[in-house]
Amino acid sequence: MLIFIGADYGTMGLSPEEIQERMGRWMGWTEKMAKAGVMKSGEALHADGIKRISGNAQTVTDVAAAELKELIGGFFIVKADNADEAIKIAADFPDYDLGGTVEVRKVMVFDR
Amino acid sequence: MTENRNIDHLFRHQSGKMVSVLTRIFGLQHLETVEDAVQDTFIKAAKTWGQHPPDNPQGWLTAAAKNRVLDLFRKLKADKERLPKVDFGTAAIALDELFLDHEIEDSQLRMIFTACNPVLDERDQIAFALKTISGFSTKEIAAALLLKDETVKKRLSRARKTISERDLRFEIPTGAQLKDRLDRALSAVYLIFNEGFHSAQQEQLIRKDLCAEAVRLVKIILNHPSTNHPNAHALFALFCFHSARLDSKVNEKNEVVSLKDQDRSIWNQDLIYLGNAAMYKAVETEVYSAYHFEAAIASEHLLARTYADTNWKSILNWYERLNAVRPSVMNTLSRAVVQLQLEDYESTKNTLDQINPKDLEQREYLYYGLQAEYYAAIEQGQKALEHIDHAIELVTNQYEKDYLTKKRKKLTA
Repeated sequence: MLIFIGADYGTMGLSPEEIQERMGRWMGWTEKMAKAGVMKSGEALHADGIKRISGNAQTVTDVAAAELKELIGGFFIVKADNADEAIKIAADFPDYDLGGTVEVRKVMVFDR
Repeated sequence: MTENRNIDHLFRHQSGKMVSVLTRIFGLQHLETVEDAVQDTFIKAAKTWGQHPPDNPQGWLTAAAKNRVLDLFRKLKADKERLPKVDFGTAAIALDELFLDHEIEDSQLRMIFTACNPVLDERDQIAFALKTISGFSTKEIAAALLLKDETVKKRLSRARKTISERDLRFEIPTGAQLKDRLDRALSAVYLIFNEGFHSAQQEQLIRKDLCAEAVRLVKIILNHPSTNHPNAHALFALFCFHSARLDSKVNEKNEVVSLKDQDRSIWNQDLIYLGNAAMYKAVETEVYSAYHFEAAIASEHLLARTYADTNWKSILNWYERLNAVRPSVMNTLSRAVVQLQLEDYESTKNTLDQINPKDLEQREYLYYGLQAEYYAAIEQGQKALEHIDHAIELVTNQYEKDYLTKKRKKLTA
């Protein structure tokens, strides 16, 4: 699983032109992964409406994206035999230059 | 999917359309809310499209914009004091109509007139127009106008403040007002184009963006029956003629190439054709504007197959007529240039004598550069050298400096 962490485009003040350019890169990446047959699934996450539930009392708090230094923007599940392969796939992540980070995690496979 | 990426500037242009339409619905007092809402739509698009590109991107964005309207109604409704006086029943019916192409253009034209309202400072007008109609970010405006980010921010907020304090209406001027307001709008569009075309320090990409935006704006003006004026056609023609040379103006090293040395084979013939067609419509008037004469001058240069073929006599005539409607010290200088080309040294000297070089401000070096050429032509080498040294001393732009230094070498050779 590739987890994307970084600031939200909205708070970075990107222009429509820049957002479109970013989008082109994301599209190119997913296209490439689809062609290689390594893309399994993925989701993009909204930056607003974040809720945090915690404690025994299950207190619900609203969290503004701006408060989060490390906002999870989305994730992809890709097919990779080992960490090196996953890192290779993550090389095309478009937002490194904006300070974005990719966290590579192994999805646990349960024996049945 | 690949198609989506080929739609150049879709978001930028869609941004201007959406901001204009939504402002028409909600009013200028909600401009900032509208801008934020539109921004959100693009971020959502970028995230969603990255994985599931729509078949019809423009349709997707329009649908998203409409949904945004409803969101905004809810948001503003929650904040009772800021609720615009909109009849929700009619608004819902009118909504679809407002997103028809000609209504979108109508809204954008209203935004152009808002940006070019005479109550706004002229410098603020350009920044505001680039932000609201062209979807430029503060950074992009700063890069385009060679300003600091902070300066752009100040100009934008000053424009917004004035618009809200003076309670400007979001409309297309009519009646006696129209002529003057249209003149101002054309003049702002002209300035945007000039920033792109004449600034010597920018990257080619930014230049092209600015020129393209100016062209888009004048097209919007031309598409509306009440503003489809010969002067606007003349301005469009001028843009076409200048744009035709854009690629030949700068070499691979991003250096400015003078007209004399430009590769005429790469001048864009389609644009020249478009410009000529616009000129036919432009001349359907008794009174010619400065844009008419500027276009005529640009067109003369394009007509010449080589630099030596240039019809300087005709160009001089256009400069004289331009001077009659819009006298300027740059115009006088240009006339002297042409007279020198015609080897009419007496007139050159007379024209140069009319110029107070200080009036040329940061372009003062051009005056001394031309003086040097004049003295070189009449074979007074010593005086030519004195003047070119003065020019080199005054010039700040490195490319121009290199150019003058090369010239100096030739003088001493």
